[in-house]
Amino acid sequence: MATTGTSAAHAQNSPGRLTVNSIMGSEGRYWLLIAPAVLLMLGFYFYPLARVLWMSFTFPTPGLGNYEDLIDNASVHRTLITTARIGVITTGLTLIFAYLISYVLVHAKPKVERIMFLGVLIPLWISALVRGFSWFILLRREGTINDVLIGTGIIDTPLDLIWNELGVVIGMVHYMLPLGVLPIYANMRNIDTRCVAAARGLGASRGVAFRKVFLPLSMPGVIGAGILVFIYSLGFYVTPALLGGGKTLMIAEYIQLQIMDLVNWGRGAMLATTLLVTILLLLGVMSRIIDLRGLFGGK
Amino acid sequence: MTQSFEEDCADLIGIEEKKGMSRRDLLKFAASIGIPMALVPGMTRKALAADAKEVVLCNWGGVALEVFEKAFAEPYEAKGGRMVIDGSGPGTGKILNMVMANNVTWDIVDSGIVGLTQLGPQGALEEIDYSIVDKSKVIPEFAYDYGVVNYMFSSVLAWDSEKVDGTPTLADFFDLEKYPGRRLLRKDAQAMLELTLLADGVAIEDLYPLDVERALAKLATIKDELLFWGSGSESQSLLREGECVMGMIWNTRANVLEKETDGRIKYTFEGGLLQPGLWAVPKGNPAGKQTAMEAIASMQAPEGQVMVLEAMGNGPANPAASELVPEGLAASNPASAENVSKQARISADWYAEHYADAMQEYLDFITS
Repeated sequence: MATTGTSAAHAQNSPGRLTVNSIMGSEGRYWLLIAPAVLLMLGFYFYPLARVLWMSFTFPTPGLGNYEDLIDNASVHRTLITTARIGVITTGLTLIFAYLISYVLVHAKPKVERIMFLGVLIPLWISALVRGFSWFILLRREGTINDVLIGTGIIDTPLDLIWNELGVVIGMVHYMLPLGVLPIYANMRNIDTRCVAAARGLGASRGVAFRKVFLPLSMPGVIGAGILVFIYSLGFYVTPALLGGGKTLMIAEYIQLQIMDLVNWGRGAMLATTLLVTILLLLGVMSRIIDLRGLFGGK
Repeated sequence: MTQSFEEDCADLIGIEEKKGMSRRDLLKFAASIGIPMALVPGMTRKALAADAKEVVLCNWGGVALEVFEKAFAEPYEAKGGRMVIDGSGPGTGKILNMVMANNVTWDIVDSGIVGLTQLGPQGALEEIDYSIVDKSKVIPEFAYDYGVVNYMFSSVLAWDSEKVDGTPTLADFFDLEKYPGRRLLRKDAQAMLELTLLADGVAIEDLYPLDVERALAKLATIKDELLFWGSGSESQSLLREGECVMGMIWNTRANVLEKETDGRIKYTFEGGLLQPGLWAVPKGNPAGKQTAMEAIASMQAPEGQVMVLEAMGNGPANPAASELVPEGLAASNPASAENVSKQARISADWYAEHYADAMQEYLDFITS
């Protein structure tokens, strides 16, 4: 790139010759600057990805055969439905908790806020495996929670808190919380609290002021967090595999099984394509409704 | 993912510290930090293999790196060969990928029935040359066209003696009234179907062809109490922590459990299923078929196989090894004559035909 840069500089000084500007417009040089990154992405990311997607149409035989599974294969249906269900439930719960936490965070004293924020962030740095195992210790039949509940006489038989969808959702909500809190918190930080004060001054009750002023203003953060968490949930692998007791099969694990164990690459690639297209569609629809650039800090 | 037995041997004990960096260590290092051989630049690989026909044996890493090194690579080198152990894990999908991309970097892989039956028919494996590999040094039925047994392991019934009195039978696994509590099965059709059918009263000699419907119907009777393990370590922790009262697990894990719980967890080979780990040679392997076969033949020596038993609990494939097995280890050796007589043996033929369907049906059963 150094060579290109120098020759471009020379070209600028000699009228009549081709310049970067004359070929690519005035922003051309900036495109050149990111060219190495673009080439790298094309060669090492988009090309292999395209190969995998292509495989869904060509392996084992060319055609749309793999996509027929989407219509008539009960096992594919079940996996997709399980994935969607867990994704929706996880997203809903995460948003509720994240909203509460963010609300308390923005209204807390700076010192308390810092400590609380650390509490939100620390789990981000702990691997999903370790967290999964910690939940196992808490939730199993002879685990802390069941022991306490039985010991205090609240229940007689242990609750099944793990090895089912409940366990998976608990683990996933825990994992997703920081991802939910960050966008909502960032948005709430920017809400002018004087608006709420003004509403109160004009005679609104606390509830009405929250509902008609604060809540609508915080919605962009909530929607952004919702997209982020939902997309993450769709591709989640470790937590369902660990806490589902083998009985909760989500799409990521299903793809892995098809590709690594059953050597059914066509079906694996088809599901990977379906997942990717679904996510892109979701993002596309969302970008029509809200300002994604602003949400993810692009502006 | 459902972890394979071969993979689990790798984690069983843990990775030992390495000092210094020979070229073999370089490969090992690359493997240990998760860089598959395929990504080590071609030039480097060629340079590494230039001076002799070097055999790259791919296993599942961890402690198996050290053990295979001592048990297999050193004796082979003493005979003038060169062998590198690569611990990056020869998954079935990965092998097929290499062969299809015409970029095979492994000469011998530590595979199993699933690898054999999924890859052999696809033309991704070389046929074993039994004029070089000695069939008389293995149990003959575990010498297949596209793979030959390298060690034995079993799927066995293990139980928590604090919650289960006496020695339960396979049938008791399905008797919730006699022994209430959760049961543990592997998230893989292999061996689980067999043990279920044996529990349902099928005789060992009538096991194959497996009646999948019957097995699933039997499993359905205790479905609410079933848990499924994906990796060996998971099976170990679920029994150790008392989350399950009984489980169908690998003998290697059962053996470690028995030791670490001072006998609270017990297991039996009675009604278990004997399965082979297999050497297989991916089609178009870099050192050539001949060299790979010679290396496999060299690894049939009983001494090395006994070392693997001592370190990892995998039973020697060579029946002659039983004389070398120290007395204390005989009881936990899945391949000892006494233990073999108590168990059923897996049929690769059946799996060649039915693995993909049976596995999918089993998965559908456990997830619905």
